[in-house]
Amino acid sequence: MNISRRNFLNSHAMGLGSVALAWLLQQEQALATPKNIPKQPATFDLKPKQPHHAPRAKAMISLFQHGGPSHMDLTDPKPELTKYDGTEYSEEVGYSFVNEASKTLMGTKWKFAKHGQCGTELSELLPETAKIVDDICLIRSMHTGANGHEVSIRYFHGGIPGVLGRAHLASWLLYGLGSETQDLPAYMVLTDPGGHPVDGVNNWSSGFMPALFQGTVLRPKEPRILNLDAPPHLRGEPQRQNLEFLQTLNRSHADRFPGANELEARIASYELAARMQTAAGEALDVSKESKATHELYGLNDDATREYGTRCLIARRLVERGVRFVQLFQAGQPWDNHSNIVTALPGICRKTDKPSAALVQDLKQRGMLDEVIVHWGGEIGRLPVTQNQGGPEKHGRDHNGQGFSIWMAGGGIKPGMTFGATDEFGHRAVENVVTPNDYQATLLNLFGLDWNQLVFHHAGRQEVITAGRNARVVEEILA
Amino acid sequence: MKLASYATTLLVCVCTQVMGSEPLTYEQHIRPIFRAHCFDCHGATADLEGSLDLRQVRLMKKGGESGSVLDLANPSESYLLERISSGEMPPGENSVSPSEIETIKQWIVEGANTARPEPEQIDPGLGITAEERSFWAYQPIRRPDVRAADLSHPRVRNPIDAIALDGQSVDQFQPDADRRTLILRAYFDLIGLPPEPKALERWVHDPSEDWYDQLLTDLLSSPHYGERWARHWLDVTGYADSEGYTTADAVRPWAWKYRDWVIQSLNEDKPFDQFITEQLAGDEIAGPQEGDLTDRQIELLTATGFLRMAADGTGSGANDAVSRNQVMTDTIKIIGTSLFGLSIQCAQCHDHRYDPIPQTDYYALRAVFEPALDWNSWKTPDARRVSLYTAADHEQAAQIEAEASVVVQERAKELAEYMRQAIDAELMKFEEPLRTSLREAYETPANDRTDAQKQLLAANPSVNISEGNLYQYIPDSKPKLAEFDVKITEIRAKKPVHEFVRALTEPPNHAPETKLFFRGNHEQPKQVIPPGAPTIAAPEGQRAEFPADDEALPTTGRRLAFARWLTSGDNPLLARVIANRIWMHHFGTGLVSTPADFGKLGNAPTNPELLDWIADELVAENWSLKRLHRVIMTSTIYRQRANATAIDHSVNRSLRRLEAETIRDRMLVATNTLDAKLFGAPVAISEEDTGQIVVDENQPRRSIYIQSRRTQPVALMQTFDAPVMETNCEVRADSTVATQSLMLLNGQFILDQAAKLADRAALEACEVDPESVDGLAVPELPAQSWQYGYGRFDEKESRIEDFTALPHWTGSQYQGGATLPDANLGWALLNAGGGHPDIPDRSVIRRWTATDDCIVQISGTLSHASENGDGIRARVVSSRHGMAGEWIAAHSSADTSVSRVEVRTGDTIDFVTDCRQHQTSDSFAWQVSLAIQIEGQPMQTIGSSDRFAGPNESTETLVGQIARAWQLAYCRQPTRDEFGMALQFVSRQFETFAASPTTVPQGKSAVRQAMTNLCQSLLSSNEFLYVE
Repeated sequence: MNISRRNFLNSHAMGLGSVALAWLLQQEQALATPKNIPKQPATFDLKPKQPHHAPRAKAMISLFQHGGPSHMDLTDPKPELTKYDGTEYSEEVGYSFVNEASKTLMGTKWKFAKHGQCGTELSELLPETAKIVDDICLIRSMHTGANGHEVSIRYFHGGIPGVLGRAHLASWLLYGLGSETQDLPAYMVLTDPGGHPVDGVNNWSSGFMPALFQGTVLRPKEPRILNLDAPPHLRGEPQRQNLEFLQTLNRSHADRFPGANELEARIASYELAARMQTAAGEALDVSKESKATHELYGLNDDATREYGTRCLIARRLVERGVRFVQLFQAGQPWDNHSNIVTALPGICRKTDKPSAALVQDLKQRGMLDEVIVHWGGEIGRLPVTQNQGGPEKHGRDHNGQGFSIWMAGGGIKPGMTFGATDEFGHRAVENVVTPNDYQATLLNLFGLDWNQLVFHHAGRQEVITAGRNARVVEEILA
Repeated sequence: MKLASYATTLLVCVCTQVMGSEPLTYEQHIRPIFRAHCFDCHGATADLEGSLDLRQVRLMKKGGESGSVLDLANPSESYLLERISSGEMPPGENSVSPSEIETIKQWIVEGANTARPEPEQIDPGLGITAEERSFWAYQPIRRPDVRAADLSHPRVRNPIDAIALDGQSVDQFQPDADRRTLILRAYFDLIGLPPEPKALERWVHDPSEDWYDQLLTDLLSSPHYGERWARHWLDVTGYADSEGYTTADAVRPWAWKYRDWVIQSLNEDKPFDQFITEQLAGDEIAGPQEGDLTDRQIELLTATGFLRMAADGTGSGANDAVSRNQVMTDTIKIIGTSLFGLSIQCAQCHDHRYDPIPQTDYYALRAVFEPALDWNSWKTPDARRVSLYTAADHEQAAQIEAEASVVVQERAKELAEYMRQAIDAELMKFEEPLRTSLREAYETPANDRTDAQKQLLAANPSVNISEGNLYQYIPDSKPKLAEFDVKITEIRAKKPVHEFVRALTEPPNHAPETKLFFRGNHEQPKQVIPPGAPTIAAPEGQRAEFPADDEALPTTGRRLAFARWLTSGDNPLLARVIANRIWMHHFGTGLVSTPADFGKLGNAPTNPELLDWIADELVAENWSLKRLHRVIMTSTIYRQRANATAIDHSVNRSLRRLEAETIRDRMLVATNTLDAKLFGAPVAISEEDTGQIVVDENQPRRSIYIQSRRTQPVALMQTFDAPVMETNCEVRADSTVATQSLMLLNGQFILDQAAKLADRAALEACEVDPESVDGLAVPELPAQSWQYGYGRFDEKESRIEDFTALPHWTGSQYQGGATLPDANLGWALLNAGGGHPDIPDRSVIRRWTATDDCIVQISGTLSHASENGDGIRARVVSSRHGMAGEWIAAHSSADTSVSRVEVRTGDTIDFVTDCRQHQTSDSFAWQVSLAIQIEGQPMQTIGSSDRFAGPNESTETLVGQIARAWQLAYCRQPTRDEFGMALQFVSRQFETFAASPTTVPQGKSAVRQAMTNLCQSLLSSNEFLYVE
């Protein structure tokens, strides 16, 4: 008998009734497949996606301060340290530079004062940040537990100290939420004209996630975006003609395969690429900004122009729907092992005004409600002297045990400080916040449940915190 | 026998009725939910939370510390339901879904039925139920009967088609693809390279009946076959040229030998069972390895590189228990996903949540590899390498080492001296008696120091000088010592090249116990687990166990026993997994679309009988991949036209985007730059200043040979979804994103390839049948507005007489002939910046022709630099108004401004230079700029030097170049319409070039640049990126 499978079942399935068939049919249902482990999509895209809960933030700008800003000189006043300046410290200290190590406590050289209505104390090195203390939440109890730069940077970005190959926080945001703009890369990185930060391209890697979720580097010089601009001889008309010819070829090819979505998608992706060329050019052009804005960001001052321009570009990008922008320093200017007396004011001068301007500008434009600004490095510095031979040459060695960062906007409670280090600023002792807590909190503000945002990789269900202890720091949410 | 597939096909239509009609049972409906959520604490181990065991209904009724959890009288009051519904159970983030809760509730309402009576005694652990055992993937492979009627269907070429047809009389196949399409398909599928045009035409026109079989024979015997298919296998095995795991991502200098072994084995069509066995136990087959290794031994040891693919940081800074165990974990993951198609790695910490893989099975598998990967007796990657040095090599090396050791000793002396200086200087910073105490403490060997000395040094950390931080004290020491290092390196470089293989070997007589790690934590070892195969891979009660130690071998023989079992045909997994992968690479999607997960979370086969048939065929044909390729590729299913709208892509050819490697390789073939050499050390990569990783352009080898660093993915490869290995790649993503488009529009690699393709098309322009371009206009370059010639100024008429073009173009200037002085025209020449006149009556003339009525304002500077001769004279002469200016420069400069010349279309303005009386030392510079005002238009400025160009090229071979470019990129001739499109494109490009000369880069002609741009479009178009 030659009957088709369909006919066979149509005529026999209901009547068969045998346990065997019922079993086989039911078996396919995967009853035990839990709903909360979605199958990984075979393809990935950046279409906007529903968050898990109502989001507070739509975008984030991270002003990453590579090297370890010296919190006891900037954000975390320690009168005891000043009092015992020059005396021996009795606690265990982990050094990175043993040849210059000492246990001599070194008080800050700068004065602290209360600012704003909230009365947050800041050092005189940050006069502009002092003006926005009522808009920010200063966390004084960050802790990575490790002194190394790379180890802590990767912890902040990828969720595990020192481990490479993890997806960046921003990659998770893109994976979970998609992009609001289809004309610009949703995750952009603004590097310093002086060069890449420490740990180079790892700072914006999507790790185990597809390259789609990787940061697009906006370089400080031409070409601003890799492969975005045509080489000079193709710019304008020649490339327009090329693209038109290419799309003609593509369309006539697609006509031979009606219904081939992938061909349509690629045609569309060329159109997007062309739109990106225009949109990015426009987004990067700060010349149309008002004089007042230029002044606010310090674009008229040699010391602040470069960083100010990048901060301003960052605002323009989030304004156009970019999800995540991160600014980096060249190398690690906050790594003040020596000459802290001169070096620290220098890097403060470069960054203080533009950083504060960004918060002020976002606020006056009504964007701060939905945009998170983060300012901070991967570690802080030790309360003891790194001896470079003479007080003017003194510096401080690495310290991942306790340090400060600040955040503002997008649902972060303004005008507060959170957590504390010990009396010398060595270790975070109260309301300790780890990079994993930081990540959980940020995802939460974006409407994502950090423990439910799962990426299937290599048979594992990856989450941003990699199963490490983490919590949403509810205390700092508005 | 057909039941499984009936279920698959018609699940959607009938399942609801069945659910309604059959009572729910514990085994079938409830246990999978418990497995996923509850058994960790309530059944999997003897350690029962609240003494509650959920493995049997009997035990549930008995209950735990809180009493019975089932209340059949008041089902909704059941404690079980209450705890789950409230979200209290399971604890933590995951919760049981509402539909699952509903199922549980329904089941209790129905009376908490079981499928069969429950035994009074059960073994510890979850065991495997009949229901779990009956899952399709664990059934023996059964070759399906093929209906004779199906085989005789006119479109059926072989049993694959018959099974796919499945008794349907309606022809469900697409028409066969045309010959050219089929040839391309076979080329890309089998060797990953396009045919050269000649070969393609030969196949297209091959008159023999069996041309297709011959084509397959040809391609299957190509050495490039191995390269193509090795790439697929290397994805699954996680091949990388670096160790990963730590920041260092140390290079694996010898991994490539395993890559070459894979290529070689596939080219030989090594039976796949043997291919697997050698990779799992090559060292155990190789016999005693004493003295110089034989070629066969080297080959077998190289094969075990498979087991050394996992990331391994133990030689680069992470040689701790966690890192060592991670190597084992990743190795088992690779084995599980590549050979079992099971996520066996998920049973490391607890019984698998969805598949019947008890944790003990995981450790039984671990026990197979423990003797060689013993974390308690670990070897770093370097220590595991097997040296290929022969006795003779050793002897020669020893002699050279003796030479080096002299320098080594000198270095040691120098170092000691530096250390002495450093500590002396450092100690001077301390006052006595502290200084002496510190010195004593420092000079005492670390182990002999008293506590007081240790404290003293800790309190004064700057005294702790070591070779590592010496440079911090004496910066000069570093370069100085480095000089010795260079010398030592130079001497040692003379040794015979010391090659190694990256192999896994087992120390003789080493049979460590494997213990189950509670929660996967190596610090909590539990019971000893003997080596064995996964329980589910054998019929009930017949689980394969392997001897802990094979007396016949110096090693334990565990891996050999495992490999023999795996390939024996006694387990249903391997053949299906491999056959499915082969199918996947031919169709884009496997019959099981989750090739590394045949378990419950994977997808069921779309056609289980077809899967079984090809799996059985693979085994029956002595595990020959090449025969399997042939049978698949000769089927009608494979030979169909691409069907973009097919629902099931696993049995329909669909368009497939080429993989990253194939895109690059195809470009290199098109431009004829591919270095097709096989094998060898990887091609270097480097980081551009933009941070992009690029391939060394001087080594245009196939992409499989590009060095694969885990932390330095090549931008072009990664952008097109080549895997960046963390562990391994089970199936590649296939993305379509704007960054790919940007790379194809603007990336340097593609720009270079486009230029090369245009060069090749120019050299190899085709003869084109005039009829195929009949009626199409071949564009000419627009007439040039500047001409370069010589003539005479008639002073009386104030006009130029006898303007004649300078006949020879050197590439940078116009002159009389190939050499100077020319027999007729002497030294007359014109270049971008100026020139040289000839005899007094023969001026050189730069002529501009007006294309519109306009007013011209001229500015410029005339210079005569030589200190000799009588200088030169320059004039500006308008064809309408005569001379507009005259200047002399002799060892001097003159400003040559003319404020206003009114011209009409077609008028000329000549820039005339003569030698005055004496025709020596007359080189001059004269660049002029014309500000042109056409009424109603903005002013435009053109300069004599930036518009300076050679004579217009001929466009007579343009059609032939276009045809050749098409052929090289697309493997076909353009249609008449396409010729039209291309010619139109070129014509518009010419206009653009004429309007803005900077759009043609220096050194390029307009024709070549237009062709380069055309070639770039071809190389980045969908027809190039996709195969049908």
